[in-house]
Amino acid sequence: MIDNEKNRLTTSQAAVIVINFILGSGILTLPRTSVEKVHTPDVWITVILAGFFAMLAGVIIVKLSQRFPQTTFYQYSQEIVGKWLGIACGFLIIGYFIMTSALQVRYMAEVTSFYLLEGTPEWAIIMAFLWVSLYLVTGGMQPIARMFEIILPITVLFFLLVSLLSLKIFEIDYLRPVLGMGIQPVFAGLRTTALSYSGFEIMLILCAFMDTPSKATKAVLVGISIPLVFYLITVVMVVGAFSIDGVVTRTWPTIDLIRSFEMTGILFERFESLLLVLWIMQIFSTFCIAYYAASFGLSQLFGKKIRPFLYGLLPLLYLIAMTPKDLGQVFALGDMVGNASLILFGGLPLCLLIISRWRVKRIDATSSP
Amino acid sequence: MTPHHRRKRLLLTLLSAFLLASLTACWSSKDIDKMGVGVGLSLDVAHPSPVEQELEKRGGAYPKSDKITLTYQFINPKATGKEGTSTGPQQKAYLNVSETGDSLHQITREFALRQDGPIYSPHLKVIVISEALAQSYRLDHLLDQYLRDNEIRPSCLIFISKDKAMDALESKKQGELPALHLLGITDNENRTDRLIHPVSLARLATHMNSGSSFLLQNLVSAEKEVKFAGAAVINGVTKRWGGFLDEHDLEGLTWITGKGKGGVLKSLDKKTGQLLVYEIKTMDSTITPKVEKDRISFEVTIKSEGRLSEKWVTSGDPFDQGFLKRVEQTTEAEVQQLVRNVTNKMQKQFKADVAGFGNRLRIEYPRTWEKVKTDWDRTFCTVPISYAVHVTISDFGASGLLSKSFRITLPNESALLLRKKPE
Repeated sequence: MIDNEKNRLTTSQAAVIVINFILGSGILTLPRTSVEKVHTPDVWITVILAGFFAMLAGVIIVKLSQRFPQTTFYQYSQEIVGKWLGIACGFLIIGYFIMTSALQVRYMAEVTSFYLLEGTPEWAIIMAFLWVSLYLVTGGMQPIARMFEIILPITVLFFLLVSLLSLKIFEIDYLRPVLGMGIQPVFAGLRTTALSYSGFEIMLILCAFMDTPSKATKAVLVGISIPLVFYLITVVMVVGAFSIDGVVTRTWPTIDLIRSFEMTGILFERFESLLLVLWIMQIFSTFCIAYYAASFGLSQLFGKKIRPFLYGLLPLLYLIAMTPKDLGQVFALGDMVGNASLILFGGLPLCLLIISRWRVKRIDATSSP
Repeated sequence: MTPHHRRKRLLLTLLSAFLLASLTACWSSKDIDKMGVGVGLSLDVAHPSPVEQELEKRGGAYPKSDKITLTYQFINPKATGKEGTSTGPQQKAYLNVSETGDSLHQITREFALRQDGPIYSPHLKVIVISEALAQSYRLDHLLDQYLRDNEIRPSCLIFISKDKAMDALESKKQGELPALHLLGITDNENRTDRLIHPVSLARLATHMNSGSSFLLQNLVSAEKEVKFAGAAVINGVTKRWGGFLDEHDLEGLTWITGKGKGGVLKSLDKKTGQLLVYEIKTMDSTITPKVEKDRISFEVTIKSEGRLSEKWVTSGDPFDQGFLKRVEQTTEAEVQQLVRNVTNKMQKQFKADVAGFGNRLRIEYPRTWEKVKTDWDRTFCTVPISYAVHVTISDFGASGLLSKSFRITLPNESALLLRKKPE
């Protein structure tokens, strides 16, 4: 189906896309949202556990996609559950991608206008962001992947640097005791934390682009384990700096972590601008891939070229992004989209996998005698 | 090239020229020399300055009740610019402006009616609160705006001032910024055990939300000079000023927490009553909580290694292990006395745990902690605490010879005297 040979992705490119899709705005609030649920310093265990669940879900998605080589979810869902139900599933997923991308834009605008460009109207920030991403996604999957390959190493490098610097205000006592209240609290935060791993669902579409789809499992596992390490470092550093009592009072704890110390004598004494710039790049990549996945789905479902959908979606994304009236509504919408993703990508692929196995067997059984 | 193409190219050129023009400036740029760069601020009980009173008399008033006087310290760009080549009268490096009112944010905005540039706060380093104000208002209310603010960084440090807080932001020295001066003093932790680790806004939020009592560095000022003296106890429940630990108490507290990085300990030799000074090289303490049938107790083991750095005892010989043992014992006794004194104050006088006993209990016995944490300070007052102090004197500096040679020469001298006497 993906006829353009130039659009083929290598395994590492697929992994990079998964990493960049997962690492979005979630990392900025993850320490708070997870501690709110867990209430003990054991959130880091939750982060690891949730990562493993995400891997499981990711592998299910890959196994499902591998049964239908060269086709994306939008096409093979019709094969599994019939045309109309399949199209409905397709639209659900497209709706999810649209909401995710719109939300990313809004998060980006909120953080940027609060910490970085106070006074610049939100629409101005968003416009520039949207137009640049339109320019990127019109190129197709391969340019997106190459762009991500540039963004990722820069993010990793500076993220690690900034995290290490925050050791200055790190207190090991804030992370103790380990499992002081038993294992129960760890599970309490599992759902919230698992949501921050959403992004691996891109494999529903990505498998069809890969030049060696057999290695898709590897791509998704690597793609989840790197964000796992990122999340782990973030949660440990933020809780170690603020303690669980302090984390819950900060709206954007990860940014406040960097704002809470100064490195006198170094070229940059303050790193939050640097971190924010990096994170805008990460949000940009998350946005681009979700935007492309939604447009690509529409083009496949309607059997038309992708361009009109790319142009058409852009104003829609802007409108959705600007719909929530305040930050509270943004966070509430984020929760809604997160819950939807739990059903869409935790449950649906598993159901489809079981149905497809069962139907294929039945077809075999009816045709063999 | 067809005319159509030419027109398209012209259009594109115009469009890109327009886009380039729009890229030349920052959207919300402000000239840095026009801005009031705030480096420090102080909060006092309301006492409007004469200027303010006069302005208000002439109609410069708005509906408010006078509760708090906020003093903002700005860098004076005129003074710093002229430095070195000054011909006229020297200007101070800073400008302190006070405003009185009830809402801190509104007070800050009132400056916009008096100054020509906007206030720029990301470089705000210190906030000094007067003891009197911290006694009458909750700290979480006083500092709420600064914790919400997007300009002020959570790395900003908080101090309490025994006297008027605005006095702590004054300096006599030419070209010195008092706010940065305070910041500089916090770096001296390796030289004294009478400093507490500075509390930033971020840490303060943590303390506030956990409900535990904590300390803030206390400042005293006289004649435009500031000294770091002791610490203010902030009660975890009332969030207000709850007492004062003087320098001596603070020393004891540092020994309990074991967080000291340096400093000296003075003690008197038991035999001679003479001065002995112990310089701390390392300090470590382990607070071990014990829970037996809901009965909580603590055992504190303090270990320290250091040097005999000053000795007024004439008879003592540093090369003699026996004497060093004696010094160790006196020092240990002195530490014991210090920590018991401050423990007594915490339990009887302030009724607040500011040494982190609760924290140790939380880590070792999380389930017990869940039961007692809401009323920890009251429970703490009744908890038995025992101390064990181990001091090791690892060296006595470059000079041990002074007294040894003294002892050797002494008989000779007296012999000389004896011989001389008959003459």
